[in-house]
Amino acid sequence: MTRSAALVQGTLDMLILKTLVLEPMHGYGVGIRIEQISAGVFTVNAGSLFPALHKLERSGLLNSEWRQTENGRRAKYYRLSAKGRTKLTAAQRDWQAQTAAISRILKTNPEEI
Amino acid sequence: MSGLRNLLTGLRNLVFRRRVNREMDEEISGYVEFAEQAGVSDGLTSAEARRRAHVALGSSDAVRERTGAIGWEHFVESFAQDVTFALRVMRRSPVTSAITVLTLALGIGANSAMFGIVYGMLIKPLPFEDEQRIAVVHMHFAPQNNPRGNMSLADFVDWRASNRSFEKVAAYSPSRFVLSGTDTTEEVVGALVTADYFSVLRMRPTMGRTFVEGDDSSSAPAQIVISEALWQRRFQGTQDVVGKVIQVNGTPATIVGVVPSAYGFPRAGVELWRNQTLKVTRRGPFFFHGIGRLREGVDLQQAMAETNTIARNIESASPGLYSHLTMPLEPLHEFLVGRVRPTLLMVFAAVGLVLLIAVVNVANILLARATARQREIATRLSLGATRRRLMQQLLTESILMSLVGGACGLWLAEAIVRVFRAVNPTNSPVAYQAQIDWRVMVFAAAVSLAAGVAFGIVPAIHSSRNSVQSGLAEGGRSRTSSRGHSRTRAALVVAELAISLVLLQCAGLLLRSFMQLQRSDSGVTAQPEDVLTLAISPSLARTAAVQTRPELLGQFYARAAEDLGSIAGVEKVAIADSLPPNFSGEDDTFHIAGQPWSEQAFPSTSLPRVTPEYFKALGVPLIRGRFFTDADTSSSEPVTIISESLAKRYFPDIDPVGQKLGASGPGNSDPFMTIVGVVGDLKYWGMDSEFKPAYYLPMTQNPTGQVFVIVKATRAANLGPAVAQRLRELDSEIVVRRVLTLQEVIDESVAQPRIRTTLLVGFGALALLIASVGLYGVIAYSVTERTQEIGIRMALGADRMNVLQMFLRHGLMLCSVGITTGLAVALLSTRALEPFMYATKNNDPLALAGSCIVLMAISVVATLLPALRATRVEPMIALRNE
Repeated sequence: MTRSAALVQGTLDMLILKTLVLEPMHGYGVGIRIEQISAGVFTVNAGSLFPALHKLERSGLLNSEWRQTENGRRAKYYRLSAKGRTKLTAAQRDWQAQTAAISRILKTNPEEI
Repeated sequence: MSGLRNLLTGLRNLVFRRRVNREMDEEISGYVEFAEQAGVSDGLTSAEARRRAHVALGSSDAVRERTGAIGWEHFVESFAQDVTFALRVMRRSPVTSAITVLTLALGIGANSAMFGIVYGMLIKPLPFEDEQRIAVVHMHFAPQNNPRGNMSLADFVDWRASNRSFEKVAAYSPSRFVLSGTDTTEEVVGALVTADYFSVLRMRPTMGRTFVEGDDSSSAPAQIVISEALWQRRFQGTQDVVGKVIQVNGTPATIVGVVPSAYGFPRAGVELWRNQTLKVTRRGPFFFHGIGRLREGVDLQQAMAETNTIARNIESASPGLYSHLTMPLEPLHEFLVGRVRPTLLMVFAAVGLVLLIAVVNVANILLARATARQREIATRLSLGATRRRLMQQLLTESILMSLVGGACGLWLAEAIVRVFRAVNPTNSPVAYQAQIDWRVMVFAAAVSLAAGVAFGIVPAIHSSRNSVQSGLAEGGRSRTSSRGHSRTRAALVVAELAISLVLLQCAGLLLRSFMQLQRSDSGVTAQPEDVLTLAISPSLARTAAVQTRPELLGQFYARAAEDLGSIAGVEKVAIADSLPPNFSGEDDTFHIAGQPWSEQAFPSTSLPRVTPEYFKALGVPLIRGRFFTDADTSSSEPVTIISESLAKRYFPDIDPVGQKLGASGPGNSDPFMTIVGVVGDLKYWGMDSEFKPAYYLPMTQNPTGQVFVIVKATRAANLGPAVAQRLRELDSEIVVRRVLTLQEVIDESVAQPRIRTTLLVGFGALALLIASVGLYGVIAYSVTERTQEIGIRMALGADRMNVLQMFLRHGLMLCSVGITTGLAVALLSTRALEPFMYATKNNDPLALAGSCIVLMAISVVATLLPALRATRVEPMIALRNE
């Protein structure tokens, strides 16, 4: 994680799930995509990414499969499962609610508190 | 985590560890490859792209470890690693490990055994169905004032007739029975019981039947129920034992059934029950206890209220016989174990303290070892081990050692409990309930776990707190961290010494009390080793003839006494139904002509029946008048001899000789007896009782069937066989048991206090040993640590004496702090010993001083040994080494 933003473990899980909504990806791909979409604000290093991916898989939120790469090597691709989709929707909802509440608090004038 | 998937993934990772690792490696190298590709497509050279890819990855080891750490199987694997490592550590220092495991085995084993004993005897329900509903009935009345008094059959019949609270009641009387008829004659422990006895207890027969209603009517034949042990021993377990007839105390009785041996009630080792006929002609004799099973829905309070009402009716129906009669009820379990509870709990507490000391000692040893391993631990920390992981591994070591110790301890506990059951030192009928069952194993496991954590946590915390730099520094031992270690070790040793002092104090007090007990005067002035005693029961006593003509028994005794007197070496022979210090034949009140009688003024007392030479055989002085002679027969004038305290209390101003004394209360119709002599006091109620008034009757005037033969002779101990032989010649079916010298009888009477004292002294010594080893360790370590300092001091002019004093002071200071702490605790805790002490106060200065001196002395020795070693340090060698 870069200095500019620290992500809590649970948030990283949610971002990974979101990243895999459209199509299955391998670990490096997930990390790069998060970096791209956040325009460089978040960079996920392998030491956080792999544990998160494996944990999500164990929880049944992701499924994985081995695919052949061009070089003839195997790479592990992760795919969002049905359970994962449900979890993602719920997580997104919770996140909206939390952030809305935080924004409200931050926006109120000091006298109103 | 989804349970099943998690479980399966974990299992797969465990079982296919190598394949899973390879997959992880593939995934990581795939990551690097993709990163490299991305770098190339961004325009970097492939070498530069590869380098950047590896930088992005970071440490592949770290990635692997962190990914691996998320599963439950990781904990299992690390635990397995820890156990393997712990075993290796243990093997590296075998002596320390062996000592530790042995100490723990002793401590945990002893505690587990005590738990098994305490649980089995005090808590576990008796093997009777629904045993909390069974209660024992006592008779409590003046003047005897025994809160657990016996009842007579007449009382039982009255109670049975009017009671509504019990669904079944029975009376029992423990007794001994002589079996003859088939091959050998033997005496067994048994009981006389009424018909409903087995129903009250719900004892079911394994063969035949138990007694049923009607078996105690006057027309019922003599029947017995035997135990399985008796069945095996005497009848070889044959199937046709039911219906066999054997001679029981001279009369034939039919065996109607066999019951399991595991019941042990009313006496330990009971093997035979005989039906008692409820033929009631007079109020006495008072040999029986009542038991009953409460009706459904009735509790003990209600039953007691009713029983006391019945008591009041009995009292008013027989005026003058009882006074203030109540019939207290006691739950059966309480009746059987209430007596031994204090002793058992005391021993349990003592054993617990010893374990505590052992655990503290082991913590000390481990702390020392941790100091030695500082370099190893620092290395591991620097290589990336987390403190948490380190602590986990250290704790695994200590818990493993503790569990091994605990397992060995269980084995020891089994042996201890087996010995306890066999020896039955408390003489309790429930001793057989003590056993090693799953509860004890759980207890042992729990204690081992707790101990392992307790003595492991201190070194674990200390070690993981070490800074890496100091651990790796030159010399491997930093000053600051070791000092922290040393302070903790010193504190631990002080704790050990304090606890040892508490135990030593308790031991000292019990020892003082026991010595007082042994030294107390029983009233016998003859040398107890020169007096031989035998407990006998002549066959004559079991015949019908003696019921109508009791004087036959008295004549038999007179003949026996004369015959035994002719054995070489025998000086005096007497026969009596009472024997000091703790066998009193009968007790009753008495009344004196011319003095108004009341229960308070004339409390119940002993009335031993004795042959003329009794007092001479025991060396009891004659104070006034005369002893009994052969002229005092059943047909001559009734006479009695009184004891000195009776004379002093009831005849303070006049000569008692010639006065008239009557047995029992004034309602007794027997004629008055003339007092013909006053003799010295004897104790009949135990060495810790006082001298109570007693009045003696000639054996000819009221003989009983269970008596003691008392023989005063030179080398009395060797005469046992000869005396027994001569008795058998006089009466072939006589039962002779308990051939002991009077010294042995006295020793036996103080057996309980002796056992307690021995145990506690043993524990105190053990605790002292462990604590002193701990102290030795601390001082020895200090010497090793300060070798360089000693060298410097000696080079600067200190001589050997100074060095010695330096360490001696350290050791004595630790000892003093330990004693001070221990004293404070001891003074509080010794109050718990009050029920066990005779003529000793719990702050007895001798015991206090003694225990402090002993502790101090052993501490000095434990300190001197390493201190002397310090003085032999060669300054030049010390300065050169680190």
